[in-house]
Amino acid sequence: MSAARVLLIGLGGLGCPAALALVRAGIGELVLCDDDVVDEGNLHRQILYGQADVGADKLDAARAALAHTAARTGTRLTLVRERFLPDNARALARSVDVVIEGADNFATKFLVADAGRLEQRPVVHGAGIRWVGTAWAVSGAGHPCYRCLFEDVPVGAQPNCDSAGVMGPVVGVVGACMAELALRVVSGRPCWGELWSFDGKVDVLRRVAVSARLDCPLCGRSPSIDDTDESRYQGGSCAA
Amino acid sequence: MAVTVRIPTPLRSLTKGEETVTAEGGTVRAVIDNLEGAHPGLRERLLDEKGIRRFVNLYLGDEDVRFLDGLDTQLKSGDELSIIPAIAGG
Repeated sequence: MSAARVLLIGLGGLGCPAALALVRAGIGELVLCDDDVVDEGNLHRQILYGQADVGADKLDAARAALAHTAARTGTRLTLVRERFLPDNARALARSVDVVIEGADNFATKFLVADAGRLEQRPVVHGAGIRWVGTAWAVSGAGHPCYRCLFEDVPVGAQPNCDSAGVMGPVVGVVGACMAELALRVVSGRPCWGELWSFDGKVDVLRRVAVSARLDCPLCGRSPSIDDTDESRYQGGSCAA
Repeated sequence: MAVTVRIPTPLRSLTKGEETVTAEGGTVRAVIDNLEGAHPGLRERLLDEKGIRRFVNLYLGDEDVRFLDGLDTQLKSGDELSIIPAIAGG
């Protein structure tokens, strides 16, 4: 574990608890990728930040919050001050052992899925909205992958993330699940293709085995996705 | 026959907040039709002209109905159908 490099995309409600758990676990290197700044509306769920961080880069605030523990556990923190985009996605994925994404939009989720598969890197996906969240780990070979389950970027009008809201405890639980899934990968005990779904209104964690699709364009029998061209990632921003 | 349908949080505005609802039908398609009668708008969130929407998954127990018989998957009384939509956010 102390030799593992993990890329964490998105330092929001999911990324904050996941980062905290990974640093405390003593992961070798945690690469943090985000270009956003802390907003007051983030504070109820993004547990690495406080009131004094409002307006600061999330990367800087997160590093300050994690530095003391990272020094104790030996985790190296690396900051990537840019968005995860089609032109840097594959290189970033290639540079690590595991990718974790807690992105708040579908374009990034599908991009991470594609980059992970094309670079043969495992991906842990996480999502949360209102009272529900999901987490699951995908092998670098897929079978199944994110596109086996959700096929393509949703199009058309979708409820907006901002208006839908996110409950802080829900993303706390899901972020911890994401860290656990990543730790299982790096420790050689992965849990591929099992979708964990947490419902905060009834406090139930359900697990469903995701099936691989033979006609999946990313990991199926005759895959058609062989690059991360930006045209693949058009569509709505938040399905609910 | 009656089956239980688990409604995900994003769709509960259509079921008056209910987490699970009961619906009648011998196939997935019939259950969705029945749901639409009781909860108008639900069918459109699950289906498009090609069938099950691509960012929605329907599970019968632990099985994705796409890998059974899709909308024609047979159901029996007491079965549990779960709706799992793609979500983003955090």
